[in-house]
Amino acid sequence: MEQKTFHADEISKSFGALQVLDNVSLAIKPGEIVGLLGPNGAGKSTFINILAGYERQDGGTVTIDGVPLDGRKPSDRAKLGIARTFQSGRLFGNLTVAENVALGALGLGNSRKVAEDRADEVLEILGIDKLSRFPAGSISHGNARLVGLARAVAAHPKYLIMDEPAAGLNEDEAPRLLHALEQVRKNIGCGMLLVEHNVKLVTEACDRVIVLATGILIFDGLPADALTNPEVKTAYLGSSGAH
Amino acid sequence: MIQSILDAISLGGLYALAALGLGLVFGVMRLVNFAHGELITIAAYMLVVTVNLPLIISLLLTVLVTAAVAFLMELTIYRRLRGVNPAIMLIASFGLSTVLQRVYELIFGALPKSAVVAPFLNGAFKFAGLSITISSVITIVLTVVILLAMGYLVEKTSLGLQLRAAAADFRTARLLGVRSNRLISAAFVLSGVLATCVAFILVVENPEVNPYYGVNITILALVGIVIGGISSLRGAALGGFVVGVILSALNTLLGNGRVYAYSWLFLLVLIILLVRPGGFLSKGSELERV
Repeated sequence: MEQKTFHADEISKSFGALQVLDNVSLAIKPGEIVGLLGPNGAGKSTFINILAGYERQDGGTVTIDGVPLDGRKPSDRAKLGIARTFQSGRLFGNLTVAENVALGALGLGNSRKVAEDRADEVLEILGIDKLSRFPAGSISHGNARLVGLARAVAAHPKYLIMDEPAAGLNEDEAPRLLHALEQVRKNIGCGMLLVEHNVKLVTEACDRVIVLATGILIFDGLPADALTNPEVKTAYLGSSGAH
Repeated sequence: MIQSILDAISLGGLYALAALGLGLVFGVMRLVNFAHGELITIAAYMLVVTVNLPLIISLLLTVLVTAAVAFLMELTIYRRLRGVNPAIMLIASFGLSTVLQRVYELIFGALPKSAVVAPFLNGAFKFAGLSITISSVITIVLTVVILLAMGYLVEKTSLGLQLRAAAADFRTARLLGVRSNRLISAAFVLSGVLATCVAFILVVENPEVNPYYGVNITILALVGIVIGGISSLRGAALGGFVVGVILSALNTLLGNGRVYAYSWLFLLVLIILLVRPGGFLSKGSELERV
């Protein structure tokens, strides 16, 4: 096993008689962006919830840089370098953008000053520093997604799990997210797992793609190959191919 | 007229402090802590029974005891009930309130205990030909200082930022690593400190302390946090202030009809809630009610 890796090894999970994940494995290196695709019900959410510690797996192990994470709470995993964004954004609308982002750093036990400095730094990296004094409840949906990303990045992650960051973004906003991901890779250098339905974004942003279908890993390879893989086309994209 | 305005502002400030104490706990636990009134009561009793000590010592002892009662309240009762149905929490707080009233009755007796706390605050002074009570001015100054201090704590410190985040969305705050036990304990201790401030102002004006001493102001402060916006600390303070000002104005304007002041107050509150169901500072979706 490689030392500098976020590693999920043969993860299995059932809810009653329903097998949601069946021996799913994944490894992410620092600086690598991996896309996770799959149709609804494929087990994507369960998988990332297990990685982040929100759910327990029935079998398999999760490690970060060789350190086992099994049984550790999300807050403990955050301290070890796992951060995640939420599908619904979950920004605090009553707080400013800068305060929302600073909370990501405060959760690790940093002082307010250190957290605020970190927030300023991350907002600048993502190109949304002009929004810092605005209430988070007053900004556009596209900006809110970037602020959610900034809050996760403020927690100094070694590995970042993003749950559908492009959900609800329009054609103008999606490229800004793509640019932000590149900035995170360039400036932070963390490994990223991108769970996304936007195939175009995944193929453009990711170095590698894995595809889940009914809890089984059916593909692990280059994004371009995923689009032409017959099994993926059948299971996820449909027989007509990608849009 | 000026005295009436000062009275209205000082009563508003007093209710703002009480509402802020309740709002802090509601923010992190979604708990309407009816037993907050008993924190005000124990603080008032402490001020009365320690009246012979130097005022600063008396105040320090009162803060310590009240904050300790608030801390123990959370540790022994509410922490064990965390996560249960909010209605059960509400009933538990009613029960705790009643139990503490009986305990105070056993310790201090059913008859009121009385003492002149901070006698230098009684009396009046002349200003521009008008007689102004010292207590109303001191109450306003004290309230402004405490609200500024709370404002600093809430706006500028790590604890304050986490409290505001937790007040808006406790679950997400926890997911971001906010330590829930520490935050909730801090909110209770702060509510105990605020209860002491409220008790001090109350006792100066009304030193007849009985086991139900804090109940009335707590109910009116609850009205304040509902009309101010139940999920906002600023809204809680503003709502409390508005309730105090309205009540004071009604008492002045109604003259002999002041016995109906509460009826008019609650009628106004109903109208405010019909117009702004989420309170003054609601964000539209905050319609949670207990």
